[in-house]
Amino acid sequence: MSAPEVFSLAQVPLTAHAFNADRQQVAVSLNSNDAQIYTRSGSDWNLTETLSEHDKLITSIDWAPNTNRIVTASQDRNAYVWQQVQDPNTGKLIWKPSLVLLRINRAATYVRWSPLEDKFAVASGARAIAICSFDPENDWWVSKLLKKPIRSTVLSIDWHPNNVLLAAGSADMKARVFSAYIKDVDKRPSPTIWGEKLPFNTICGEYSSPSGGWVHSVAFSPSGDVLAFASHDSAITIVYPAAPAVHQNTITSVRPYEYGPNGNVTKVSTTGVDGKLVVWSVNPVGSVTSKLGGMHLR
Amino acid sequence: MASTAFRKIDIDAYDEEVLIESELYDPYPYDPATALSAAKQKQSAVRSSLSKGDTAGALTAVLEDAPYGPDVEEAKMVTLQTLFNILSSTKATDIPPIVKSLSTDAQDSLMKYIYKGMAMPGWGDVSGSVLLTWHEKLTEVAGTGCIVRVMTDRKTV
Repeated sequence: MSAPEVFSLAQVPLTAHAFNADRQQVAVSLNSNDAQIYTRSGSDWNLTETLSEHDKLITSIDWAPNTNRIVTASQDRNAYVWQQVQDPNTGKLIWKPSLVLLRINRAATYVRWSPLEDKFAVASGARAIAICSFDPENDWWVSKLLKKPIRSTVLSIDWHPNNVLLAAGSADMKARVFSAYIKDVDKRPSPTIWGEKLPFNTICGEYSSPSGGWVHSVAFSPSGDVLAFASHDSAITIVYPAAPAVHQNTITSVRPYEYGPNGNVTKVSTTGVDGKLVVWSVNPVGSVTSKLGGMHLR
Repeated sequence: MASTAFRKIDIDAYDEEVLIESELYDPYPYDPATALSAAKQKQSAVRSSLSKGDTAGALTAVLEDAPYGPDVEEAKMVTLQTLFNILSSTKATDIPPIVKSLSTDAQDSLMKYIYKGMAMPGWGDVSGSVLLTWHEKLTEVAGTGCIVRVMTDRKTV
């Protein structure tokens, strides 16, 4: 492993950061109401722009790589989408904010663009996730709220590669998978293992953390077929939504099935009392387990 | 003087979105009577395992499906007593291999009982030094993650 690159940007805590597409610029919040954009020159980062519009601490930033838009979320219950436009007077490129109507009454905690960058999701302390999409008629971003059955602050979210499903981890000790399908924006998604019909706010899965800890982080695998979440009870849980239906009874034996180029097992086969022989892909598990010490995996 | 009765009103009862304890974890699936008889059954099973010298088996049996939650106090106390019998009858040198043979779930569960025992000094015939020895060996095997899981878990034994 090569040594990490370390940059000292400030003498204060950094609450959030996001790189642009070529990673030559980074937007960070220095534990304040402003987002700062730094541009890289060699091994230095120079402050080039300050985005000020929020009037409370910025909690999360995301930079869409293709559309080059920044979204910021803050404790002031607002989100802004920043777009680079030409200043009509000076002709210089400036970042122009547009307010998003989030309709939440608590702090926004986390924000992420969807893979196609036509929507973004804002998690909040209002037991809700705002799914925001652009309304060209009125020229602003509108939101639809995912509310049920969230019982507490949403701490993290991750988009499924199909641009429709959304995973959320929350302080009610559960990770959930929702449909964030917006009729005018999304094409009908093809069926996934999380479900076939996916109207807005469909709950495709709900998973408790094993010993009841806040779910701090959630992520889909690149294929979107596996979900992993980390929780405050010192556990990482990996969810295979299709798994419970695979073996109906006790698993009797496990064998390596296929090896990868480096000799690692990539697939295993199992047999069960239910008379089934199943071949599993172990990649997502293996890449995690190899890095774990005293962790708890299910 | 103005009435102060309003201070005693349970305002949470009028809040539709209030989060109550029972929603935070899955309830223990059995009623108190069933839980108690199961705990007593385990107690006698453990006695026979112990007389055969099978400590690991006895421990696994107790820790599996251990009763938790607010309604099964009696079953919890019987289980605790059973567990302490095992802990205090095990030689210190035998502890590491036994702890290693347990599943992670059983290790977490064992840690819960060790802490429960420490919280009840003078109860029964278990001594603090026995609990500390088990705690040390268990932490060596299961790591501090095991302690964190016990501290966060609301399914108290």
